[in-house]
This record gives sequence, C-alpha cells and structure tokens, in this order.
Amino acid sequence: MAFNFNWSPLTADADFYKRAQEMLTTALNKSPKPPIIVDDILVNELNLGSVPPELEILEIGDLAEDRFRGIFKMCYSGDAFLTLKTRVQANPLNTYLFSKPSFTSPQPLAAQSGLTIPLQITLSEIKLSAFIILVFSRQKGLTLVFRNDPLESLKVSSTFDSIPFVRDYLQREIEKQLRTLMMDELPAIIHRLSLRLWCPDYAAKEDQEMEIKKPEDDQVAVDPFGSPPQDAVDARGNVLDASEISSMSLDGGSEIHSLFSQKNLLRLAALTDSHRTLSLFTPSIRDAVFRAWAGPSERSDSAGSSTPATPGLIRSHSSVGSTSTTYTFSRSDDGHGHIPSRPSLVNMHSATTGLGLGAGRHSRSHMRKKKTRVVNLRKNKTTDDLVSESGDSETSSMAPASEPAFPTPVVEEPEDNIITPPHSPSQRVRFRTSSIDLGESPRKLRLSTADRPSINLSSSTLPEQVIDPVPAEEKSVPIREQRPAYSNFASYPQEKHSAPLSYGPAPVLSDTSSAAGSIIEQAWVMKMASEIARRAQDEKSNNQSFWSREEREDSPPPAYAPKAT
Amino acid sequence: MLEFMDYVQHAFYDTSHWNFENSYSQLTATARALLDFETPAGLRLNLSSLSSPNFATSYAIGSVGLVDGSLSYLYTSLPLHTTSRSSDIDLHNVIRGYRQIQELRKPEESWMWEQWQGGRRVDKRDTLLYGRLYLPQSTLEALYLRRMSPTQQVKLSAVSDSRLRNGGTILALHQYDVGKYSAETLYSTDGGLIGLRGLYNFGPDPRKDVTEAPRTEDKFYGRFSAGAEIYYGSLNKSGGVSFGGRFATLPAHKGVPLTATLTLNPLMGNLSTTYAVTAGKNLALCSKFDFNVYSYESDVMLGCELWRIKARVPKKKERSMAAKLEWRLDPEEKSDVPEPEIVAGVLKARIDQNWKIGLLWEGRVKELLFTLGSSVDMKRRDQPFRAIGLELQYSS
Repeated sequence: MAFNFNWSPLTADADFYKRAQEMLTTALNKSPKPPIIVDDILVNELNLGSVPPELEILEIGDLAEDRFRGIFKMCYSGDAFLTLKTRVQANPLNTYLFSKPSFTSPQPLAAQSGLTIPLQITLSEIKLSAFIILVFSRQKGLTLVFRNDPLESLKVSSTFDSIPFVRDYLQREIEKQLRTLMMDELPAIIHRLSLRLWCPDYAAKEDQEMEIKKPEDDQVAVDPFGSPPQDAVDARGNVLDASEISSMSLDGGSEIHSLFSQKNLLRLAALTDSHRTLSLFTPSIRDAVFRAWAGPSERSDSAGSSTPATPGLIRSHSSVGSTSTTYTFSRSDDGHGHIPSRPSLVNMHSATTGLGLGAGRHSRSHMRKKKTRVVNLRKNKTTDDLVSESGDSETSSMAPASEPAFPTPVVEEPEDNIITPPHSPSQRVRFRTSSIDLGESPRKLRLSTADRPSINLSSSTLPEQVIDPVPAEEKSVPIREQRPAYSNFASYPQEKHSAPLSYGPAPVLSDTSSAAGSIIEQAWVMKMASEIARRAQDEKSNNQSFWSREEREDSPPPAYAPKAT
Repeated sequence: MLEFMDYVQHAFYDTSHWNFENSYSQLTATARALLDFETPAGLRLNLSSLSSPNFATSYAIGSVGLVDGSLSYLYTSLPLHTTSRSSDIDLHNVIRGYRQIQELRKPEESWMWEQWQGGRRVDKRDTLLYGRLYLPQSTLEALYLRRMSPTQQVKLSAVSDSRLRNGGTILALHQYDVGKYSAETLYSTDGGLIGLRGLYNFGPDPRKDVTEAPRTEDKFYGRFSAGAEIYYGSLNKSGGVSFGGRFATLPAHKGVPLTATLTLNPLMGNLSTTYAVTAGKNLALCSKFDFNVYSYESDVMLGCELWRIKARVPKKKERSMAAKLEWRLDPEEKSDVPEPEIVAGVLKARIDQNWKIGLLWEGRVKELLFTLGSSVDMKRRDQPFRAIGLELQYSS
C-alpha cells in the first residue's frame, strides 16, 4: 500500500495561500493577545516550503477511496516560513505593569508611557513532531487533530532581535500563541480549506471551476449526497467507525437526512411545491443528478423499491429512472399522499422533468460511474453482473417499505431499454409515458396527450424545447453526464418530440439553459456515447433474460398501458 | 470614590503627619482624578466598620460575571479618630477631584516623637497592618506600613496569588520626605525591579523659619515642583525613565486655582501635558494632551468635575412671641461659622479623541455612599454602553 501526498500542488495553487492567510489572520486574532501586541496580527507572507513533512503511518482505521481514517506520526523540519505584521508595545515597563496586580505595582508616573512600533515577525525553522489523527471523507472534508503538542522548536526573528528582553518575550509569547493555534485553530482551518476543495456544496462560487474540471477528473465529482451512509463523519462531526456507518446505512432514516445540506433541502422543498402547484417556476438544482444518483442506495434503504427479481435494475439505477418509477407508481395508485412523504424523490424528478429522456440518460451514464466506484471500493467486483448482484444483496436486505416491490421494476425497465441504442420503439414509448406521468398529475391530461401526442403543446414551442432541455441539463448537471444525452438524442429523434410535448415545466428549464459545447466537450460526447453504447449492449444482454421472462419487453406493462395510449 | 480601607489609610497618614502628596508619584494626581477615574462595572456592595480606633473591617461583595467578594482587616497601632460613619463622612475626603496642594509643612523633629518613661524610651513607631482576601480567586493582599521617623516611612505590600509567577510579588517602598524634597526607593521581587523617585519643590524651604510673608499679590502665587523617576528591571534588563514638572497654585492664590504638569519620557519619546483649572466654586476642568515624538501618536482627553450642592432652604423666620409682644423685630442672628455645605453629588465626565466617554455620579443617599458609573463608546453605535455599574458603601 502506498500513499501519495502532494506537497507542491498546494503551493502551486495561488488561491490557496490567499485563503490560508485570511484564515490564519482571523485565527490569530481570535484569542486574547498578550499585552505587548497592541494591534491585530496580520499574516503577511506564508510559504509552506518545499520540504514535505515526514509521515509515519501508525494505524489505519478505515480506508476507502472517498474516506480515510488513520493515525500518523509526523515529523517536520522543513523550510516553511510565516511572516506576521503587527504593532507592539516597545516600552517594556508598560507590558511589565500590564499583568501585575495593581496592589504591588510601583505606579510609575510616566515611565510606563507607551510607544507602539510596527513589527514584522518571521517564524522559520519550524520543527514539529506530533501524532496526528486524520479523518478524511469526501462529504465532510478533512479533519486533522493533533494528539499532543506538535511544536518542538521555532525560530522567531524580528526587528527587536538586538534587545534580549523583547526577543525572549516575543519568542515566548509567539510559541505560546502558536501552540494554541496548532491545537485549536489549525484543525478548523484545515477542515474549512478541505471543504472548499472537495465539497461543492460548501463553495458555491467555485462550482463553475469545478464543472470545468469534472470531465477530466472523475474523482473530483463529489456530491454531499453522493453516498451519505458512507460518511466517516456524522452530522455533528463525530467520527463514525465502520460498524456505525454500516448500521446507519441500513436503518436509513433520520441520520441520513441529517447529512443533507439544508440549502439543498430547501431547494428541493421549493421544487416539490412548484411541482404540486404546477407552478412554472422550478428552481434549478445544481448536481441534481448527483443527488438522485445517491438515490439508489438510499431509496433501496428507505423506500425499499426492492428489485430482487431484476438484477439489471440496480445496475441501471439511474436516479431519475428510479424516482420516476416511484412517481408513476404513486400515480397509478392515484394517491397523492406519496408526494409529500418522499419529497426528495419527487424533486429529483421534477428537476429533470424538463427533459425526461435526457435526464434519464444522464443519470444512466452517471449511474455507471457510480457503479464502478462502488465496485472498486467496497466489493472488489469489477463486472456489471457482480455489481448488480451486490446491489441485489443490498436491496434485498432492506425491508420493503411503503411501496409494493413489483411495479417498480416495471417502470424502471423501459427506461433502461430506451437508453440502449438498439432498442425497439415500443420501449421508447414506454419511457415517454413514464416521463409523462412525472410531468403532469391529472390522469386525464395524460390520456389526452397520449391520444394526440403532437397536439399537446403548441407545436411552435416544440423545436425549442427539443433543443433547449439539454443545455438546461448542462447547467445543472456536470458536463460529463450531459454528453450521453446528446448522443442519445441523436439516436432517437422521435422521442424528442414526444417528451417535451408532455411536459409542463419544460419551458421553464429551457429558459435557464445556457449555450454549451466546446471541442473538449464534443470529444467527451463521442467518448461517452461509445461507452454508453457498449454498456447498453452489455446491459441488454444481461437484462434480456429477465425481461423476456417477464414478458415486458414487447408489451407495455399493465400500469403503463392506459397512460401511454 | 475611595474605598473605606483607603480612607482609613489616608486617615493614618494624616494622623501621623505624613504628607502623602509630596511625592513624585502624586505629581499628576489632579489629572488622574479628573481623567483616569475608574468606572464601576456591575453591582458592588461594601460593608465597613471602624469598630475601634485601632481596628477596621470591610466586606465587599460584587457581581461581575459571577459573585465574588473580599474580606479585609486593618490594624493600626495609631488610634484613628476619624469619622467613619458613611452618613457623616465628608465627601471631599472620599471623592478624589481637583487636588488643591497645600503649603508645605515643616517636618517634625525626631525628638518630638520621643517618649521617655523612667529613663527609658517607650515610644513606638506607628504601624499599619492590612490584609485582604479575595474570594473565590483566593488572592491575598497584605500591607505593612511603618513610620520609621517623622521623615521616613516604609511600605511593604505583597500579593499572593497562585496565578502569578512565583506565587506572588512583594513591593518594598521606602519614602523619605523633608518637605523641600522627597525621595523614594523601591524594589519589586517581580523582575527584580529597582526604582528611584525624587521630587524637588522650588521655593522657600519649610524647614527654615519663614522670614517673609507669602507674596500673594503676585499674578500666580503657587509652587513649582520638578522630579524624576528611574526604574531598572535587574532580571529582565529593562528599564524606564521619566521627568516631570508641575506648577500649581496654593490656597492663598487669589485668582483661579490651576494646576499644570508636564511629564516627559525621553526613552520612549513621550510627552504629556495636563492642565486643570477650577472654573468655579463647584466646577473643575481638565485637559490632557499626549504626544509621542517617535511615532507621532497623539492623544487628547478632556474631563470635568461638577459638584452639586443642595440648595439650602432659607429658614423661615418667624418672629418670636417675645418680639411680637414687645413690638420689635428679632435681633439678627449672625453665625461666624458658615453652615456646612450639603453635597448632593459629584458628576465626573471624561471624553477622549476616540469618543470614549466615562461618566461617574457619586454621592450619598441617606446612609449610603454610592457610585454610579458608565463607560460609553460612541464609535460602536450598536451597543454604546460598554459597562455600567453601581457601587454602594456603608460604613459605621
């Protein structure tokens, strides 16, 4: 096993130093300052140097690609330095009196009058030696705690080096200050920095940068909701060990919800409302597909849309697909009660409503990514079959919740099939219907649209919608996922018409859409398209047996038939 | 307002004829009283008693954050016959305001202290012992004050506190005062600080017999004093120096009483001037200007002190029955001694260039002496009142 610590990339990032300086400045000024320092301490210069600290692994508690927990022994004697600027009290008598009780004060008349001098302090030759507890999780960032006092020695050089009293005093005070900084503030600073680096939810500003980076770097694709149960840290920041995590992922429920960010929950709530009231305003949700992508495990946990019969289902588990499934389902039950009870699912749904097809595909491609990750990290299985099996075991262990298990696969399956290029038109129809269900609540409407597919919305809006939804997705979804959508569109021209037709919210989303497409993206599109085609082929071959067995491939499922026709 | 124990200590100085003000450390006493007064924070209660002429106790309880308090005891070998009842204490004695310096007294000769009995000296040196325990901080303050001779005094003060380095500090101060000049040496165990202070009063020497009457007809009849102090921390190799001068009018001055001081710290380049004047019978104004020649930092502070005297209700004169019967007016009653003023309270206010305002209202309500104070920071609009406090004193 080997770890690769990148020390120099930290220094390469120009923003890193700026942020670190800001955080250090606030941290240094938080605690009460010694009397000799009469002004705020400003971090003037910060350099981590080129010599990385030596790390010795003592213990590893938890290890996965997206989380890590371990204890290190760290030794550092590098060339990092830190320059601080502040103003100090130059009169030693003044500081002498400051901390003394007034009762025994000599009470000088004017000898203690102050003289403040601007001072520049350089901290260098920092020698650290400490035991470090490091907890890393993609969702919660990096938590670093020193087990002992890390500061071994330090050289303080300042403008007062010629005056021994002041020099000693500064050395003493700064060491004291630095110790508290290391023990209390540094973990918080590192945590915040790591959150900025890894958590898109934390740094909303940097999302655009992240979107650019994502296509190149799959690992960066992080979502706070991506896999909540896999968190190594719970909502209160406590470290969870593996058993706790597993128990959490099993019972689902509140703990998982507590891991969601409030901002996104609010957005989802807004979406639910807009959906219920058929409001034209649908707030765009960033990384909506991510959230849904987390859905499968979550859903299987909570909703228990158990798919023991269809291993391929979990594989295809596109969040949108699954959510749409549940949605349709509740529709077929004609019960609206489900909507509020599971807002997240519905929301996911409406987020991608703008383009049912595209969304489905995005999530699909997405899903695949996730699968590979899951395989690599947890089960050490690489093939899709194995993945589906693992998914199976996961889902089977869940108790089926509010919904009957059976109808779910019904909806799920068509989506899957649609995505795969070689599919028959009938499946497309099915998919379309499912998306119709999602988009509109009254059944009559649906029926009417089914009857006259081309008349549903004004025909003039049609072309726009056909084109727009994809960019709309682009905005809300990482680019990587959009590419397959393009390719799929190309392969299914007919669907374009039907899908937008049936949707109310679609125009709104299209409004928010933005133009996209660079050369890189095009290349990406091509790559993804080919990959999707390949995967779809695999899936189809895998699924074929199931679907054919259940005879759903050719004839629409009973729940569907009325809606579609 | 002086705490009761300080009040008793000053009574000891007075009784033992020690001129407390003839010291370099008291050069700017007026400016400090008018500008650097402390504003109380929270509620504080003092219960004190001078139970016998030799023994005083004081209990204090306060609520700054959490409840804290202190117990203090004082013993003096010199019987003090001063008014200790808070209803009778003259407020001028407990409220520090404009300090009117007095004419220098001729120091007593040492033989005046001698007491002989049966061919042996039986006189003892006057001593004051004072201890104060703060709870719950467990801080102990102790003071030992001894009049060595009519011109000398030794003061040992100590603080014991586990939070201090070495568990506490001791300050030893030896004062020598002959009127014309005074000198002090001090040593503090904290940092091995050694200090020297001296004050010289220009003008006639009080030790010599006065040959000529004071020239009160001058425009300013006052006294100029100059002094210096030097400190050296033997352990931390640090030190400090300052020079100072003061001109203050004496009571015989016919014009407006004023005090002006100038202090100089040559090491730090600090220059400070104060000017205080009693603008009326009940009003004193003071200003202070600081300037540092090295850093060009300056500071301005203004303060005032306003004594509010209760309006004396003129006695309604009724003709006595005898006068009525005799068809004449009552004879005019003339009293040579004016009735003592009844001070309703003293308002002190200060303001500095940073718009920090300190307000203090001191006075007496029935048997209680009270101090109501607040510090206001006008630059912080959201919460200008930084602290507000009330201090109540009762003594018997």
